[in-house]
Amino acid sequence: MPKVPDEMQLLVDKHVRYIQSLDTRKDELEYWLTEHLRLNGLYWGLTALHLLRHADALPRKELLDFVFSCLHESGGFGAAPGHDAHMLYTVSGVQLLATLDAFDDLEARVQGGRQKIGKFIAGLQDPQTGTFAGDEWGEQDTRFLYGALNALSLMGLLHLVDVDKAVQHVHACANFDGGYGTSPGAESHSGQVFTCLGALTIAGRLDLVDQEKLGAWLSERQLKNGGLNGRPEKKEDVCYSWWVMSSMAMLDRLHWIDGDKLTSFILQCQDPELGGLADRPGDMVDVFHTVFGIAGLSLLKYPGLDEVDPVYCMPRSVTRRCLGK
Amino acid sequence: MALNFICGWLSAIFCSPIRLLHALLPRLFAGAPSTSFVEASPNSKETRMPKFYHDDEAWADIEPLAQDDGGMHPLAAIAYTEEYSEAMGYLRAVMAQSEFSERVLELTEHIISMNPAHYTVWLYRAKVTSEIGRSLQDEIAWLNPTALKHLKNYQIWHHRQTIINALGSPEGEPEFISTMLEQDSKNYHVWSYRQWLVKRFDLFDKPEELTWTDNMIQDDVRNNSAWNHRYYLVAGRGGKLRAEIADREIEYTKAAIRKAPQNQSPWNYISGIVRVAQLPKSTLKDFALEFADVQTPEEVYSSHALDILADIYSEEENSKESAEKALDLLATKYDPIRANYWNFRKGLLEQPTA
Repeated sequence: MPKVPDEMQLLVDKHVRYIQSLDTRKDELEYWLTEHLRLNGLYWGLTALHLLRHADALPRKELLDFVFSCLHESGGFGAAPGHDAHMLYTVSGVQLLATLDAFDDLEARVQGGRQKIGKFIAGLQDPQTGTFAGDEWGEQDTRFLYGALNALSLMGLLHLVDVDKAVQHVHACANFDGGYGTSPGAESHSGQVFTCLGALTIAGRLDLVDQEKLGAWLSERQLKNGGLNGRPEKKEDVCYSWWVMSSMAMLDRLHWIDGDKLTSFILQCQDPELGGLADRPGDMVDVFHTVFGIAGLSLLKYPGLDEVDPVYCMPRSVTRRCLGK
Repeated sequence: MALNFICGWLSAIFCSPIRLLHALLPRLFAGAPSTSFVEASPNSKETRMPKFYHDDEAWADIEPLAQDDGGMHPLAAIAYTEEYSEAMGYLRAVMAQSEFSERVLELTEHIISMNPAHYTVWLYRAKVTSEIGRSLQDEIAWLNPTALKHLKNYQIWHHRQTIINALGSPEGEPEFISTMLEQDSKNYHVWSYRQWLVKRFDLFDKPEELTWTDNMIQDDVRNNSAWNHRYYLVAGRGGKLRAEIADREIEYTKAAIRKAPQNQSPWNYISGIVRVAQLPKSTLKDFALEFADVQTPEEVYSSHALDILADIYSEEENSKESAEKALDLLATKYDPIRANYWNFRKGLLEQPTA
């Protein structure tokens, strides 16, 4: 077999060390300025490590201590201790617990913990429209709707919400070009396509999707350099490797893009010295692009990676355990 | 330099989150030696003195509350970090005693200027605004420059929406939106907010709205956000499109396509209009032939025209061969990166039509 050029190899050990280093930078200002993303960040880092087959690279007990320190009496999670509860962090909290196989730990620390979290999420559904708000403040977005179905299904609590109504709302967000936006009529965007398709997949209602039209729109996101963009006439970005490809995987149409070119694009976004992936070659890395780049490679069947679940962006082995399928 | 945990779902979906910090950091980092970030933005010229509360008499009655995260309190290494963590300590303290006052309003402003993505601060600010009966116009006047400084921030837009909704008038908003779009003509938050305004104040049929959208398209015919907004105005209320509106839109779009034939947005738009007006696909046949003809495969000016022709031919009685040719051209010559998709479409030609 011919030697693969360096830039075509995934630098697994460097990425593991990069992720491990993230929590040791407390003397840097960004660490504190990004506190409102901490729980998301842990989910991104831990998921990346699992896909890289280094699941134990972060200490389980400390992770759990931190996750529980973000849990409010209301059943919602904040981004960090002292931050208000919000849907986005609650989803990350549940995903972390699922990945760490820690629902029993949750019950041991908080009696009826799962039910509490489920009730918090269910309380954010708008009974009129079926969509979800992010917090008591009321901003609504299909991201929150997807997050709700994601977390509830992982806990086996989908029955707490009106799934049919949520499905109707997602359906109302379908656009003339085949894509989906944040709310009815809002511009199609690959990130929102992911959330809408994810919600419909969890609800078992992909029959509502014009799959051929949407598949064509998604495949049009690939640019000549192999990278994917989020909307027409926008630049490529590694995170869209995930939003676009996971959507195509849910539609079983991954083969409509050129996987070799995309693989090569993602690998070029690695920092060969310190590890991590950036949005595009030569830019600064961060944990967000790191996980979505690696998850994208997993969908592309890059060797040596664990299988990712396109609906949840979690290891397939974890979702299989939680969902029993 | 590694940026840890910076990119939220929040900003993540819609932008490269790194730029969110670019907008935010230079001001904070002005003068900080340990960073390579400083040159990133025009704002970096703006230096200001850090503000502290411990020696401010107006705050003497407040004991700042430390972050309760299990006792890990690394000493801040940079002066600006101290400023930020001190301000947060005072915020936690006033939140704990539910204080709503002018000074708290100023405190939230200070923290937002350092970290606009901190959603808890916005939430508390909204409460303060309402509890002390602050003038909503004043709040908007404060929000305008704040939004311009932080283009990709979510919280600002929700805050704005709440206030304009309470004010009950969109006056001044179009002008503000134009200023925002001068910074980034495809900013998703701004366009979503514009749609909210249209719906909230029923501006669908207001001539100025369509004229403004036309101007945005004239400025950049490849602005997909502008095309989407046009569709929202024209067809966003649902139902079959009236024939004269459909004709007007089809002619408008044809002119735009003739300017730039290889441009996805107007092709998507024109197909959407044909569909919602319940016209046959063949309505666009002669027009598509202006840009592509399977008889002259060397002279194709738009892959989108070929795509539409393939679709039209596949529905015609004896044109299967032409449809195949169009799809072959796409798969091999004009859009080979998606060869598998075009070949899939070719496969569909073999199936009996339902």
